[in-house]
Amino acid sequence: MAKKFMALVASVMVSLMLISGAIASDKVVVNGIDFGFPPFGFVDKDGKPAGFDVEAMNWIAKEMGFTVKHQPTDWDGIIPALNAGKIDCIASGMSATAERAKIVNFAIPYYSVTQVMVVRGDEKMDLAAFMKSGRKIGVQRGTNTFKLLTELKAAGANIEIVQYDSTDLAMQDLPIGRIDASGMDSSIAYEVMKGQSYKLGGTFDAAPENYAYAVRKADTELLETLNMGLKKLMADPYWEELKNKWEIH
Amino acid sequence: MHFEKALNATIEALPYMLGGVGWTAIILIGALLVGFVLGVPLACCQVYGRPALSRAVGLYVWLFRGVPILVQLFLFYFGLLPLVGIDSALAAGVIVLGFTSASYQSQIVRGSIQSLSAGQLKAARALGMSDFTAIKSIILPQALRLSIPGWSNEFSILLKDSALLMVISVPEIMARTRSVAGRTHEPVAMALFAAILYFILTYVGIQILRWIERKVRIKGYSQEGSM
Repeated sequence: MAKKFMALVASVMVSLMLISGAIASDKVVVNGIDFGFPPFGFVDKDGKPAGFDVEAMNWIAKEMGFTVKHQPTDWDGIIPALNAGKIDCIASGMSATAERAKIVNFAIPYYSVTQVMVVRGDEKMDLAAFMKSGRKIGVQRGTNTFKLLTELKAAGANIEIVQYDSTDLAMQDLPIGRIDASGMDSSIAYEVMKGQSYKLGGTFDAAPENYAYAVRKADTELLETLNMGLKKLMADPYWEELKNKWEIH
Repeated sequence: MHFEKALNATIEALPYMLGGVGWTAIILIGALLVGFVLGVPLACCQVYGRPALSRAVGLYVWLFRGVPILVQLFLFYFGLLPLVGIDSALAAGVIVLGFTSASYQSQIVRGSIQSLSAGQLKAARALGMSDFTAIKSIILPQALRLSIPGWSNEFSILLKDSALLMVISVPEIMARTRSVAGRTHEPVAMALFAAILYFILTYVGIQILRWIERKVRIKGYSQEGSM
């Protein structure tokens, strides 16, 4: 019985390995992109990876002579996926924070964001007044904006912080009045305000942070290739063209 | 008008979301099969095996029922499976859901076996059958039929658990829901869309299992207390 059972387990394992089709990849750089972070990286309506970072990486790959494959990867597991070798780099609007720099290496920064507050179109209060008003501001938990708001509150700001799973969910609650403002990266703010009756309620007084590509600590060769490619891209007229195309401010 | 924007986003996402239904179906069928192939022998070992074997099965069931699937997915996909050369997220998901389902399915089958009268096995032995033959030809044909209502439960639970594979980036319904929500900024409309898809899948699956249950029913034979 036990032998038969082991044989069964073994055969199930083997067939699963066949399903998985263990593909040994040769010199293909797999780039993990966030499922939904337009305009930097997202999955378009045909299910194909698209966005500013995707096109920038395609240009760099062509210029530097490697093949790039974009792999949509869940944001919560994107750094584990990088360090487990499921993907080789992350070019998907990732902030190069000091905390992340302890476990991955970042290429040169290519874009810088500020922290802003988005409010309803008819809002009269400015940022300074809002921070003393005791009103509610929504924010995606775990983000740098959340960290900033917590620090401001500890320093005496009179606000109520409401945490959400995503900025989009906070933006569902803003028009119906469950919150009075929503804090986020400037890069997302321009995107969520498109075609809606919202406006920028102000920019927080905080150091801007940089977006950069991430690679594994050990992958110094890839890091160098990406840095060289980025420098070439940013010196090329195509860089401005890309930024205009994706309306990156 | 916001409703119109949400509706347009939903219609536009339809083909992509239906692609997710295909992935969800593959995960579900794979996991149910793995769970069945492992679960039935596990149940037999637990009921008829020597005490040590029976305890080992108990330990297996306890482990897989005791650890949340989300935790298992991270452990297996990022930790254990790469060690044995399994790289694919789909395979990892099917293994995790299948192994967990095996622990539940084994308990469904165990319950069915134990609901049969013990005299049946004794009678088979008296006729000179080996235990293996008796279990295979007398016990299991009855126990498996009795297990079908339990399975339709397991089917619908597994279907909903398959959404967890989103965290290891398998492009099933929930992963696609999140990706469309991120692109269109319509999280509520997309959640409603996903809810409808899951509802249809649950309904269709349970109807199929009911049909099988009627198809394999033995005339005049029923078990008290079965649904």
